[in-house]
Amino acid sequence: MGISNFGYPMNKKPGSQTKLKKDVLEQSLCTGCGACVGLCPYQVVYHDRTVQLHDCDLTDGKCYAFCPRTPANYGQIRESLFDISDVTPEIGAVKGYYLSRAADPALRAKSQHGGTVTALLGVAMDEGLINSAIVSSRNEELKEEGRLIEEKSQLSDYAKSKFTVSPTVAAFNQLMGDVVRKVGVVATPCQALALAKMKTVRIKDGDKINPLNLVIGLFCGWTLSVESFHRLLQLYQISPAALTGMDIPPGKNILELYTNESVTSVPMAEVDACVRTACRYCIDSTAEFADLSVGAARFGGDCDEMRGWNQIIVRSYRGKQLLELAVAQGALEIREAPASALQDLKNAAAGKKRKALKNIVEKSRSVKNLLYLSGDDPVVKKYLSMEKKKR
Amino acid sequence: MTKLLSPARSKVLFLGNEAIARGALEAGVAVATGYPGTPSSEVIESLAHVASERNLYVEWSVNEKVALEVAAAASFTGLRSMAVMKQNGVNVASDFLLHLTASGTRGGLVLVSCEDPGALSSVNEGESRYFARMLEMPLLEPSDFQEAKDLTKWAFELSEQIGNVVMLRSVTRMSHASGNVICGKLPVKSRKAHFEYDGSVMDSSRGPMISTPVVAKHLLHQQKLKAVEALFEKSPFNRYFGAAKPELLMITSSACFLYAEEAIEMLGLQKRVGILKLGTTWPLPPKLLEKHLRKTKKILIVEEVMPFLEENVKILAAGLANRIAINTFHGKYDETLPSAGELNPDIVAAALCHILKVKRKTLPANYLSDSQKAAALIPAREQTFCAGCPHRASFWNIHNAIALDGRKGFVCGDIGCYSMAALSPATGYHTMPTLHSMGSGTGLASGFAKLAQFGLDQPILTVCGDSTFYHAVIPALINAQHNRADITFIVLDNAGTAMTGFQPHPGLAISAMKEAVPAVDIAAICSAIGAKVALSDPFDLETTRKILTSFLADKGLLKVLILRQACALSPEKKGKKIFDVKVNELLCLGDACGCNRLCTRVFRCPALTWDRTTKKAVVDEVICAGCGVCASICPQKAIVKTEASL
Ligand SMILES: Cc1cc2nc3c(=O)[nH]c(=O)nc-3n(C[C@H](O)[C@H](O)[C@H](O)COP(=O)(O)OP(=O)(O)OC[C@H]3O[C@@H](n4cnc5c(N)ncnc54)[C@H](O)[C@@H]3O)c2cc1C
Ligand code: SF4
Ligand code: SF4
Ligand code: SF4
Ligand code: SF4
Repeated sequence: MGISNFGYPMNKKPGSQTKLKKDVLEQSLCTGCGACVGLCPYQVVYHDRTVQLHDCDLTDGKCYAFCPRTPANYGQIRESLFDISDVTPEIGAVKGYYLSRAADPALRAKSQHGGTVTALLGVAMDEGLINSAIVSSRNEELKEEGRLIEEKSQLSDYAKSKFTVSPTVAAFNQLMGDVVRKVGVVATPCQALALAKMKTVRIKDGDKINPLNLVIGLFCGWTLSVESFHRLLQLYQISPAALTGMDIPPGKNILELYTNESVTSVPMAEVDACVRTACRYCIDSTAEFADLSVGAARFGGDCDEMRGWNQIIVRSYRGKQLLELAVAQGALEIREAPASALQDLKNAAAGKKRKALKNIVEKSRSVKNLLYLSGDDPVVKKYLSMEKKKR
Repeated sequence: MTKLLSPARSKVLFLGNEAIARGALEAGVAVATGYPGTPSSEVIESLAHVASERNLYVEWSVNEKVALEVAAAASFTGLRSMAVMKQNGVNVASDFLLHLTASGTRGGLVLVSCEDPGALSSVNEGESRYFARMLEMPLLEPSDFQEAKDLTKWAFELSEQIGNVVMLRSVTRMSHASGNVICGKLPVKSRKAHFEYDGSVMDSSRGPMISTPVVAKHLLHQQKLKAVEALFEKSPFNRYFGAAKPELLMITSSACFLYAEEAIEMLGLQKRVGILKLGTTWPLPPKLLEKHLRKTKKILIVEEVMPFLEENVKILAAGLANRIAINTFHGKYDETLPSAGELNPDIVAAALCHILKVKRKTLPANYLSDSQKAAALIPAREQTFCAGCPHRASFWNIHNAIALDGRKGFVCGDIGCYSMAALSPATGYHTMPTLHSMGSGTGLASGFAKLAQFGLDQPILTVCGDSTFYHAVIPALINAQHNRADITFIVLDNAGTAMTGFQPHPGLAISAMKEAVPAVDIAAICSAIGAKVALSDPFDLETTRKILTSFLADKGLLKVLILRQACALSPEKKGKKIFDVKVNELLCLGDACGCNRLCTRVFRCPALTWDRTTKKAVVDEVICAGCGVCASICPQKAIVKTEASL
């Protein structure tokens, strides 16, 4: 009753879980990535909310260390994962930049754009780079979650983008310490960052074998809040169960919702209202901490042609190796991107960074307090000063 | 033959409640009813035991009001009957009681209230003595075990003499202690029941049993009570002990008499202090009081909880002002005695020391420090649910569902073992912030649920036990349904009135007298009023949690979840483990990041202990009830359950 903690000394230092709550959850910074979920019994995802079920008083815990929205030396993480000479301020490390698509038209038909992600996972499995993949799947409550795939043939069943958050890293956490597995994860930028922190941040208890072998990043402008998105679907009389896909066709400023019977266009302004608050404070649009990053192709051609292609950024040696294997195997077609495409991508990425920093400063009311970011990080410094000048 | 039926003149060791039961048997009681509640339950239990032998009808009624009604019906037909309850049960019965004292009774009818000063097993320190004054009925209070029997027997005679109900009050220290009683004769003849109603409305022995004409009947009732006063003047249950002219007179009743006696002895004040022990405490016999009040100037009134006796003595004394010099009264009003909680001989002794300016023989110099040292050796134990208790699993599920839902829902509590969730919040995982009387959880929930228009957006849950459901929840539930209250109502169905010792209730197919009776199905009642009903086993954490979260999300209607799992101590479970449960030390993460002792720090089944040297959890096989629930919460699957070999 009066006895808290049963005679065990109370920690004076605030617990990691408390800090996570104060610094991330209560600040609406939680991206729903799932990195703090499934590490222990205390954090779980429910719908797209990260919920702390019971109190934990440990300090130096994994939850706070792995979360992509807690402060860390992001410059150092970048250095330890990439060739520093490859790093660009706008889109992170670039070893190569191409347009690409899966060679198999059947796969392309099942995938979001060119099927590059699914094709690359297949090749990685074939070549033994990985033996397990974590992709995104819908559960019985029609909510996304990470799904472990061990057969290449099943990969295409989980193709296509879901614009609501999928706490994929939580599924990966279940595999920590597994010495047999070699895992590849498809990750949004925040998830790729969490996975990078898991590889690089030293924490007291972090002696488990990390089976992570490959991260394929997705470009990402934002994710949608599940609750608001389901309300939007209701408004357009689409049952969540009937939804087969969604996309943002270039240049139209709409979101298209696909069912087996129909295509519904939703004006971007309505979609914007459904964006997760946390995404407004995210400076990464190209998954800078992945081995390779894949997005929709944007080049001068017509819309329908573009839809069948991806743009791909190769970032690490592992990424380069996989791309080469995929091309050599004939699983992936690549072509040089027009010079303007890379610049367009960089401009768009820089735009997201500036906007996010502006939102962060608005929230903290001080350029000295950048929440999870630090003004010492050269990338942050650059866009922060641009933002200041604009003011 | 059971002890309760011992032959006349034999000396038997009885529990206070057994002495009351024996007194009733000697009086020839035919019908005994009650609702379980500590410290009253053994009266009905022991009578149920001898029901067939003595041709009694004994019933655990749905609640105290119905218990009194069932007993009154017997009285109306000329039979002797009694209704037994704990203090707050009298509140439940009080509406009927008000009308009953007005209509009068026929066969002797005794209302037994066993009270709990200090709230040892209650969430209130209710006082039913005031009902005696408010509803104008005689009140008797035994102060030893022999009196408990004798006064009970006499209470039936008195009731018949005045044609009205008589109240007998006991307290925990009387009901639950044991002492020798010399038995009297058990009657051989029994009465035949017949209800006469053709007489005049003013003739309560032959006419209709109603309270009208109200004023005329009230006057008649009061005249009878005057007659009671006269009887009480001569009652052998009121006795004086001490010198003819003591310096201080203690007036007391009930178990407090024993405390008073002991305090005098402790201080060696036999010559200076006298005790007037009253067995008939309402109405007070004025002449007897006058005689004793004349003995001295200093009066100390010793009683527990409320200053009932003190007030009544003072009122009498005021009326006698011109004949006796006004006395100095000590008691609760001048704070000589505490105004709440139980008394004991030490407290009474301290009061005597204070009034008489005497010093207590001092304790050995190191007594205090030694006793503190000894106390430190007692391991700190929190009140909690037993090992294997279904309520722990239920509250685990409730907590998790509320947390997942994320709108800061809460549970309105009710009375039963599960009240522990409010009394010791960590035990209920901090979910149950309200606790009042039986059935009031649902009533409160029904009210909270109507506050949405004022901005309340928290989900409202409430719990009740199976026995409580029948007792007082049904009207509140109907209120909730009829007024469209959005509540999640959870029945913690553990198949019996566990807290008070597994008395049967209307949900079970067995009666107090072990006869087969129809069970009344809670789910069917809830469905019939139109609620959405689901059933689950609280040990099935996954299913139960899913139902609860879906209920919380399903807005605007009454939802009922019946969580059915027998109490760990229930007769059918006792000693039988479903699972053998062990911790695999190699897998247990202990207090490392990744678990941080979920099982021993948060879940906290008392059978799960923390080994400080190995830094691992351990299942204490002796305490473990083998429910296996902890195996489903361990993140490491380190708690292993295997089918128990019988
Ligand atoms: C939330 C979100 C926002 C995006 N925003 C942009 C953008 O602004 N600009 C842009 O160019 N591209 C964006 N993309 C990427 C784009 O939609 C395609 O995923 C990408 O072009 C790869 O196409 P593909 O045909 O190779 O994918 P596919 O071969 O169809 O494979 C897609 C893979 O991603 C996984 N996946 C789907 N949804 C999620 C999710 N929510 N979280 C984690 N993994 C998931 C699938 O399981 C599958 O493995 C976004 C993707 C997502 C999920
Ligand atoms: S990850 Fe570690 S520190 Fe964080 S809540 Fe879980 S056990 Fe506690
Ligand atoms: S951002 Fe990811 S790691 Fe951080 S709190 Fe949210 S779900 Fe957990
Ligand atoms: S919950 Fe499991 S891992 Fe955690 S302390 Fe208990 S037995 Fe060990
Ligand atoms: S099985 Fe686990 S929860 Fe059940 S009584 Fe044993 S230790 Fe307690």
